Amino acid sequence: MIHIDRIVEGAVVVTAVKGRLDSSSSPKLEEFLIDAAPSGTVLLDFAELTYISSAGLRVVLKATKLLRGAGGTLAVCGLIPQVHEVFDVSGFSSLIPIHPSREAALATLG
Amino acid sequence: MTDMRLDLRLPNNLGELDALSTRIEGFMEDAGVPPTPAYRLQLAVDEFFNNAVDYGYPDGRAGEIVIEVSRTGDRLDLFFSDDGDPFDPFAAPPPDLDGTLEERRIGGLGVHLVRTFADHFAYARENGRNVKRLTFAL
Repeated sequence: MIHIDRIVEGAVVVTAVKGRLDSSSSPKLEEFLIDAAPSGTVLLDFAELTYISSAGLRVVLKATKLLRGAGGTLAVCGLIPQVHEVFDVSGFSSLIPIHPSREAALATLG
Repeated sequence: MTDMRLDLRLPNNLGELDALSTRIEGFMEDAGVPPTPAYRLQLAVDEFFNNAVDYGYPDGRAGEIVIEVSRTGDRLDLFFSDDGDPFDPFAAPPPDLDGTLEERRIGGLGVHLVRTFADHFAYARENGRNVKRLTFAL
């Protein structure tokens, strides 16, 4: 189960994801991010993301590549410790900026 | 804490994944497993189930996946068995995690996460089944 909200905060498009990102739900995020014709600065707010598997990581990586290819930026924020651990072990922490909270991310990105 | 155990038998169908995750989550709560080992075991079940269903039955035959989770004192054990084609996930080389963004591939990442998070892991082919045994410390 997953719920996705888009909130525009100045120049940053915040995409807030609630629930679990696994192989059954990650196609919804993929559709959401790619339909958005990604450009500019996208912040994935994962504060209410309780779970991510390699299927979810795949979508985050794909969106990051698409955005950077278009000259944009993708960052994530609000990771719970278990999700942060998955980002660390995958090596994603060195590829994608991780901010502690939406406020901290917007202060840096905005 | 009383020792607890969960036994599941499922068809090789990805439609089972949501119900499977809910069952595992419920067991972790009932067994009083802390969030980090609960997450790590959930991830192992999820990655193994997806891999078994996606690659284990290329001819489209019906299969049976058996998952047993038990908490004994300070340890959590996972027994995962399927009757798919023989495959040892732990024999694959680890993915390259040092490449640039453009070079990064997602293949092999699930198994890399699982083997990193487990305290012990082992694979065996037993009676025509792929059997994986993992242990997580609480």
